[in-house]
Amino acid sequence: MKNTLRQVFHSSKFVVGFVIFVAILLTMFIYPLFNPGNPLEMIGVGTFARPGTYFSLYDAVKTPTETLRLANADDKRLGKQLSDEDRVAIVAWLSAVNVNVEGLDINDTEALLEQWRANYDPSVKPKGMTQAKRNYYKRLDAALKEVDAADTLIIADKNEEGQLEQQGTITKTDYVNVGQVANVKTLPLGTDNFGRDVLKELVSAAGTSIVIGLLAGLVATLIGLTLGLLSGYVGGICDDIIMFFTNIFTVIPGFVLLILISYSIGQEQRGAAVVALVIGLTSWTWTCRSVRSQVISLRNRDHVNLSKLSGHSLVRIILTDILPYIASYVVMAFILQVSSGILAEAQLSLLGLGPKTTEVPTLGLMMNWAMLYSAHTNGSWWAYFPVILTITLISFSLNLMNTGLDQVFNPTLRD
Amino acid sequence: MKKILCMAIALMLALTAIGALAETTDLPRNETLYFAGQQWGSVNSWNIIGTNQNNSMTIAGNSGGYRTLMFETLYMYNFMNGELVGLLANDDYAWNDDMTALTLTIKDAAKWSDGTDVTGADVARTFDIGVQVGNNVGTGFKSYISSIEADGKKITINAAVNADGQPVNPLKVLDFLTGAPIAQAAWIDTVVERNNNDTVSILNDPGEDVVWSGPYTKFYADDQKVVLVRDDNYWGQDASMWGKLPVPKYIAHAIYADNPAGENALKAGEVDVCQQFIGNVQNLWLEDGLPISTYYEEAPYGVCLTMPTAWYNFNLPVLAENPALRKAIAMAVDYDTIIANAMTNQSPSFADVPRSLMNPTEGEQALYNHEEVADLQWAGMDIDGANALLDEAGLVDSDGDGFREYNGEKISLNACCPNGWTDWQASMEVVAAAGKNIGIEITTLYPEWDIYQTVFTNPNQTEYAIYMWSPDAAAPSNPWQRVNQFMGSEFVGVENNWSGNWGQYLNEEADALIKKIPVTTDTEELKKLYTELTKIYLTDVPSFSLMYRPSLFHAVNESVWTNFPTGDDGRNIPPADCTDGYGIAALYDLELVEG
Repeated sequence: MKNTLRQVFHSSKFVVGFVIFVAILLTMFIYPLFNPGNPLEMIGVGTFARPGTYFSLYDAVKTPTETLRLANADDKRLGKQLSDEDRVAIVAWLSAVNVNVEGLDINDTEALLEQWRANYDPSVKPKGMTQAKRNYYKRLDAALKEVDAADTLIIADKNEEGQLEQQGTITKTDYVNVGQVANVKTLPLGTDNFGRDVLKELVSAAGTSIVIGLLAGLVATLIGLTLGLLSGYVGGICDDIIMFFTNIFTVIPGFVLLILISYSIGQEQRGAAVVALVIGLTSWTWTCRSVRSQVISLRNRDHVNLSKLSGHSLVRIILTDILPYIASYVVMAFILQVSSGILAEAQLSLLGLGPKTTEVPTLGLMMNWAMLYSAHTNGSWWAYFPVILTITLISFSLNLMNTGLDQVFNPTLRD
Repeated sequence: MKKILCMAIALMLALTAIGALAETTDLPRNETLYFAGQQWGSVNSWNIIGTNQNNSMTIAGNSGGYRTLMFETLYMYNFMNGELVGLLANDDYAWNDDMTALTLTIKDAAKWSDGTDVTGADVARTFDIGVQVGNNVGTGFKSYISSIEADGKKITINAAVNADGQPVNPLKVLDFLTGAPIAQAAWIDTVVERNNNDTVSILNDPGEDVVWSGPYTKFYADDQKVVLVRDDNYWGQDASMWGKLPVPKYIAHAIYADNPAGENALKAGEVDVCQQFIGNVQNLWLEDGLPISTYYEEAPYGVCLTMPTAWYNFNLPVLAENPALRKAIAMAVDYDTIIANAMTNQSPSFADVPRSLMNPTEGEQALYNHEEVADLQWAGMDIDGANALLDEAGLVDSDGDGFREYNGEKISLNACCPNGWTDWQASMEVVAAAGKNIGIEITTLYPEWDIYQTVFTNPNQTEYAIYMWSPDAAAPSNPWQRVNQFMGSEFVGVENNWSGNWGQYLNEEADALIKKIPVTTDTEELKKLYTELTKIYLTDVPSFSLMYRPSLFHAVNESVWTNFPTGDDGRNIPPADCTDGYGIAALYDLELVEG
């Protein structure tokens, strides 16, 4: 056993796969310690907040300030409000309202804004200008008014008579240390369509998906193994019957069967465990076939015949004389089943046939909701890309482990 | 074998080439106005007196007004100001003193496409055949209109009267003016004759030879596209109506597979007017810089006329017997999240427009006394209040499993809406999350639409506990009609019920008040009645609205066309997709973007 393990861990492929898988597992256990709470909690009101660090504006206003005189602060501020395209657009407006723009330097902010202030009128409707464009100019004007605004913002609050009373001011050179703001929240992967923390959800979903995969793999392997052993060792009519059913299941595309069963179960009954069970029940066939063929080649070996002659029971022969010889194969098959179980859950959920959504997050459900909310077309990559990456990493690591094991145990591949 | 393969490939190439040729017979872009979000699937028929036409571009009664591109109504409804603008009929209609008869005249200029005059007889025949065959006009109005008399261009609509000699509902008579497309009497006779007066065949007649009065008619329709072409002989270019023809020569609607397909076409400028919900629509111009705009520049971007509502199933004893449970769930729901998520803020919040039976338009909001019901309203996310209410009602968790019980059984409800209706699904997720907070097990359930529609319209169903549907949006008979849909007894027990009160709620007191409204004309009295009804509704909570929502979405891409109606242009054209009710006026003002 020790020797086998040493051999296994000599395979670089297995080690890489193992390390990735363990890293994912460790993250699943460790991350919730730092960020506890319900992963399905809708913290954000609104859809798809960008990844980044958010700090409470309310708290920031009340945090003690430092004065920093940064040379390019004004330029940055202006750049935020007035991009190069905006400058071109200003010139376009000026020409549309018949202002002579010859000699006007587009980079001369002062001159440009002066012309703009003098000539922009929101009620004017230049010929052929679309409503969308006019709305754009309205927004631009509002943004430029911000730039022109006084150097200090006034913080005011209602006094007892209900009138606004100045409480303090904020100047352009006031800065606060983020560390001193009472409420800061980092959302490394932003929020999803429900305003949930994507990273937290992802970690929890990866866990659920791995559990679904393990359960599906276990069920599939157990069924496949049992039937394969019986069919291969007992043979005869038993073999015929088992192979009859196995062939039927092999011929019907597994995924179609999976869809039909999931659909007919109905959403109310579809918990994560049920989905795992369904996946397991539809994917055992090739394990069964391969186990059977290996058992057939084993059953006439001398040690098996000796056991038979010694009057050992069927169960004992299978467990002690046959199973150990195919154990390495079964482990590899199990790993592949886990991997395909995780993928199957993702595929099912993407079709809206996954586990019901209110209870646990799964990788497939996250993708499903991201797709329903068109995250892929509105640029919210954080809602689906990390999920795809996680699924890929999990199945990549499992497949790598499988290949590594194969190299160790399969005599034809052994170096 | 190789030969066969080669031939097959050659055949495929040839077919593709033919397909490409067919593509090139496209309509001239600068004469065509493209739509999305109205027509799903191919057209079944052009039979205006039939049913199941699946012909949304020409035969569609929306609550924002009838779509009058091909078939016209007597009046156009403008939901911006509640006005009825004359279309086939002259602007002035008049009630007699006891509101049992309404008289109006057809415009002298109004003509059918075959050149004959539109007369009162056409209107009368349209109503009569509707009642005879039971199409939408017939079933919708036969309880409210007893008969229509015609005398040349003059029409008298006699309201149905009850035992006391009072009209059943004058408001619904007004709905007829804006909601019933008029068909030609002569054509109706042809259809009746060729179908041997058989109801089913009349309803299913394809109506390819239909006679119309509107500005457009069919050009071609297949499973890819529906195209209408302008009728340059349209009577409406007469000075007594529009004085000109609508600007686009063609109206085209490609048949898209789903919402994202239509949305992408809008982004690409292949669609000019899009009647689809687009999440975070402002990003299209703020972030993507596309020439797309909506009726209002700022949230809520459109005019919210309806309230998608979660209905409680009164067939389930646990819901029917526990007003506290109904109210507690409604109080615990986080409406801000629903509005921000499901509607991406394209709806006013319940803090801005407190919940009642009214939609958020000023006209309806003025119809009830806000102070009197203020104590009963809730803005949501009131977990403590909901918990207290449940505790007080004796619905407590006695076995410590985290869920409350009623009569010793765990309260377990489902929250349902059709699968794929994402904004509603998101709302149901939020409702389920609210349940978790107050110890009520609520799980979401999203059946396919075919299943959903048969269950929620079944008056005896016990499968769905909380389920979504929208009451009517805007029509001359609203808000009365909506109130009736929320609490009216007339829909209780009705099989295949698409009309209202989907939760089967019964309240005699409310019912009596609802019956009084249509015959009340005094504004103060009306306000009193509506306030009383709002009180009952907010106390009994037979259902709760989740958001406010436009009945039509109206996003336009100005790559080709411009001068679409906007909220501040002073024209008062409603954002009804340039097709519905008075919204069609927009078609006469469109301009091409130059350059």
